[in-house]
Amino acid sequence: MITRRTLALGSTGLAAASLASVRPTLADNEPIRIGWLAALTGPSSAPAIGFDRGVHQAVDTINGQGGVNGRKIELVVRDTQGDPTKAVNAVQEMISRAQVHAIWGPTNSGEALATTPIMARFKMPDVHPCFVDSLIDPARFPTAFRMAPSNSQIDEAVSDYGINKLKLKKFAVIGDTTGYGTTTVNSSSASFGKRGAEVVYKGTIDATTPDVTPDMLRMRDAGAQAIVVWTVSTGLISRLMNTRANMGWDVPFLGHPAMGSGEVGKLIAKPANWDKTYILGFKNCSYGPDGKLPQKVQAFVDSVQGKIDFADTTLWWVLAGVDAIDLIAGAVRETGSTESSKIVDYWNTLHDYPGLFATYTFSKDQHNGMPQSDLVMSEANSQKQGAYKLAPGYG
Amino acid sequence: MIAAILTSGLALGAVYALMGVVYNVMFAASRVMSFTTGQLGMLGGVLGAAFIGVLGLPTLLGFTLTLVCCALVGVVTELVAVRPVLHKLEQHLYVLSTLALALMIQQVAAIEWGTEPRPFPHLFGIGGGGATDEKFWLPVLACAATIGGLELLFRRTLVGRAFLAIAEDNFAARALGLPERNLRIASYALAGAIGGLAGFSSGQLLLAFFANGAMLNFYGFVPVALGGLGSNRGAVASGLALGVVQQAANFTLGGVFASVAVFVIFILTLLAAPQGLFGVAQQRRV
Repeated sequence: MITRRTLALGSTGLAAASLASVRPTLADNEPIRIGWLAALTGPSSAPAIGFDRGVHQAVDTINGQGGVNGRKIELVVRDTQGDPTKAVNAVQEMISRAQVHAIWGPTNSGEALATTPIMARFKMPDVHPCFVDSLIDPARFPTAFRMAPSNSQIDEAVSDYGINKLKLKKFAVIGDTTGYGTTTVNSSSASFGKRGAEVVYKGTIDATTPDVTPDMLRMRDAGAQAIVVWTVSTGLISRLMNTRANMGWDVPFLGHPAMGSGEVGKLIAKPANWDKTYILGFKNCSYGPDGKLPQKVQAFVDSVQGKIDFADTTLWWVLAGVDAIDLIAGAVRETGSTESSKIVDYWNTLHDYPGLFATYTFSKDQHNGMPQSDLVMSEANSQKQGAYKLAPGYG
Repeated sequence: MIAAILTSGLALGAVYALMGVVYNVMFAASRVMSFTTGQLGMLGGVLGAAFIGVLGLPTLLGFTLTLVCCALVGVVTELVAVRPVLHKLEQHLYVLSTLALALMIQQVAAIEWGTEPRPFPHLFGIGGGGATDEKFWLPVLACAATIGGLELLFRRTLVGRAFLAIAEDNFAARALGLPERNLRIASYALAGAIGGLAGFSSGQLLLAFFANGAMLNFYGFVPVALGGLGSNRGAVASGLALGVVQQAANFTLGGVFASVAVFVIFILTLLAAPQGLFGVAQQRRV
């Protein structure tokens, strides 16, 4: 006989059962929220604009295919304007209010130095492309992963090219007078010294110096066979190139990718002044001797023709944006979860993950994902659709 | 090496000297050291590159428009940043007002022109990087023309004498019926045009770059202090000497030591002659 008590108990049980069955369904359909810390405006916005194109391409592609295990990706974008304070506020808002599952960025080291400890405290999975070595420390920041080279790797790539590919022995290492320029001159000089080369001249130049002839003369008198340049100032770079031509000195420049910027092309006195300049590049973003990109990257570039403009950005920024989203989506797909610990554990097991920008390998003790072999040197004056030709010396 | 030091040193020195003259012209009319001085130089380069390089205007028209625009900025400086604080000169409020206007000019230039240096067009097509390169002799020519023009203005014209009267004794000049306010506006317009000329003539040397203003402000002040406040001849001699010493230090010492050497000389000179090399010690009633 059905009593009133039995009916009440049964109804409660049914309601509980239905709630229990609904909860996983809700979780399964909940969007994957990815925080994107982008310096989309301000003086250092160029990289983030490039990254952003890749990010949106990847999100649109994944969502267009039905999402990850049926869950759509939802981007939570905050413009940090390159300002560490704004980046810190954005991270806190993403974590506490937007409740994102993982974060991509920030994309410059100044911001990352401020945000990485916060993300570590909240166990927030984070991938970023910032170069400063100290940003990666699995003991202090176990949830932070780098998918671009560290400064040490860059130093190694440039010194390796100068010594082993160009077969030179005496180098001048110069930078601008900013903190970046000064520290990189020291670390780069150490890298050349470690490989047995002689750093015959080491110095910094104010980026607004109108005439760099004295500095170039000192480098020549010191016997430099190549000049390693660490600055993002296109004015200083172009003055170095023009002065080299005026002196009739046939010395190669090696170093920072800014030497390949289109702005440099506008500032040099004649196109020939840009010759013999080799910049850090990436294997997957370089045209080989056949004039083609690696097959997988070429296929991607062909597939987004008309959708992504590469003319005013660099290819690696776009590819890294795609890879960042794919790394997060891949972790959710493989673990079936957006839990922080599961995403981090999954990334810690990645070995030779074939991204577009690079082939990544992470482990519990190594969160620098880019292998040294993916770093190459490129011809600075060869930019075409955001990518460069491999420098002489690569087979 | 000596030829290279003299070539680039005199060119840079001429730019510093012109900046010093801009400081002096503004100061003579208002007793104000305006921080917009360097920005006028920056605008000379940026506007010249915009008119001739970007818009493709003929050189002479681009040059004239640049000077007119810079003169207008000079007038705006007087109206916005100087006149409202003139009655409180002893509180030095002009430091704040002219600095604020200078920052606004720089930010507008950064937004409209961009934060990367851009090329300044070759005016006569004489390049090559040697002593005959126009980027080296144009600033020197501009400096010589400015000094010659100012000498003619101040010594041979009635307006020039009125300028001198205002600079000498503002109250007495007004008592004599001189239009002090109009003359002050004209002085700021003249200073703006000279600043524009400095930036225009050094455009190939310094490039059209929004951040040049701060550097020109700084190095333009040194000739004023060395030469004596208000002395254009002193500013020119000190500016040229500064440029040559700076380049000599660059060649011999290099890097940050060059700047250190320049300022050691600067401080020693002021210790020896506090009123500046060409200045006159002020007399005080006791």
